[in-house]
Amino acid sequence: MNERSDPHDMLDDVAVYALGALSPGDVRRVRAHIASCTLCAEEYASLRPAATAIGLSAETIGDARACPSTLLKPRIMAMVRSGKTHPARAVTLLPRRSAAARGTIWPAYLVAAACIAIAIVSSMWNVALTGQLKQTQQELARATQRSSSLADTLTDERSTLSDLLGADAKHYVQGNADVVTRGSRAYIAMHDLAEPPRGKVYQAWTLPKGSKKMVPSLTFEPDAHGDAVIALPSDARATAVIAVSLEPEGGSKQPTTKPILVVPLT
Amino acid sequence: MTHDADMLMAQVRERDADAFESLYDMHHRLVYGVALRMLAESSAAEDVTQTVFLKVWNSPELYRGGNFAAWIVRVTRNRALDVLRGRAARNEIELPEGLPEGEAMEETAFARIDAERVRNALAALPAEQREPIELGFFGGITHAEIARRSGTPLGTVKTRIRSGLRKLRTALDETVTA
Repeated sequence: MNERSDPHDMLDDVAVYALGALSPGDVRRVRAHIASCTLCAEEYASLRPAATAIGLSAETIGDARACPSTLLKPRIMAMVRSGKTHPARAVTLLPRRSAAARGTIWPAYLVAAACIAIAIVSSMWNVALTGQLKQTQQELARATQRSSSLADTLTDERSTLSDLLGADAKHYVQGNADVVTRGSRAYIAMHDLAEPPRGKVYQAWTLPKGSKKMVPSLTFEPDAHGDAVIALPSDARATAVIAVSLEPEGGSKQPTTKPILVVPLT
Repeated sequence: MTHDADMLMAQVRERDADAFESLYDMHHRLVYGVALRMLAESSAAEDVTQTVFLKVWNSPELYRGGNFAAWIVRVTRNRALDVLRGRAARNEIELPEGLPEGEAMEETAFARIDAERVRNALAALPAEQREPIELGFFGGITHAEIARRSGTPLGTVKTRIRSGLRKLRTALDETVTA
């Protein structure tokens, strides 16, 4: 695009610039022109709010299919409240298998990179101080081995999270719960969950296909913000119903209270 | 809502996680909706949504008041454009630079406009104007690419975009003052 003497041509370019649909080279030219042309600056100021308002049309309200997963908010809030929100220090909420298994995971590649970096720095420090290169190399080898082992473990956790957010995962949204299945794996994500009374815990249940007897699964408690995400050990493909009830600490063999969640899987 | 958002952002600057959570509740559908419309993939849209809100938390000073929804739409669009550029790089297609963030803009006029009103105003535009506008905003492609895809002369595309934006501006003004 060349700058023209005809102001009407430039006004068209200003409109495309306001929309954000100019190529980088044209952006620079139009931006420079606007800085020196009152007519075009006014046109830009007039059209830019309308262009931005177009984005508002994409807001999704009342359409569950066009809403993010219920897992997203707990994940973001866990990062915010833990103070680990920068990309280089990102952590992700670990889907909980039980109350005791709550925690967070670091992306495996990040852990591996961090461990290796620490090992390298440690190695250089030793060399500078003692000159004992052989010992340093042994330490580096051990650290690398440890990081590799840890990375393998966390890769498994990461793949679990990938299940939860996978495009092919099936979501069964019911009230404050989102039951997610992907292949053989099943998860329960709940939010705004009340703290169980003293001596009580929440317990998950599964009903195998073709069975009439609920099978006890994991017990769990919500975190301080009422969020709970657990990964069920049973095979989702062989499960007809997933339920949650309030049970005595330690869990029950059969539900002793009316379930707060009953989700048939299709 | 902008007033609420301004107050919440002031609290976010003080590292108030509850205020941040309220902002998320108020705007996550907007952020996710823009990202989903641009990327057409839920997992990518969620990634962008996470990135945008973490940016709000990590760099609240980038919002300098005005229309919070408009600001977060721009941030979201820019992040989604980054993703589209990444995809395009693999296909060797040139894509445009995103809208600059943080520019002081007078956008408070539309601070109380909801999605339905904008959708109605867009729907009222002639298709020949609405389509290049939506392609340019959500498709993340240049007007030259729009012209190529539609087989329309470049000058015609630009004129239609401008005419459409002017009508949209007028329609939204009427909505605000109605």
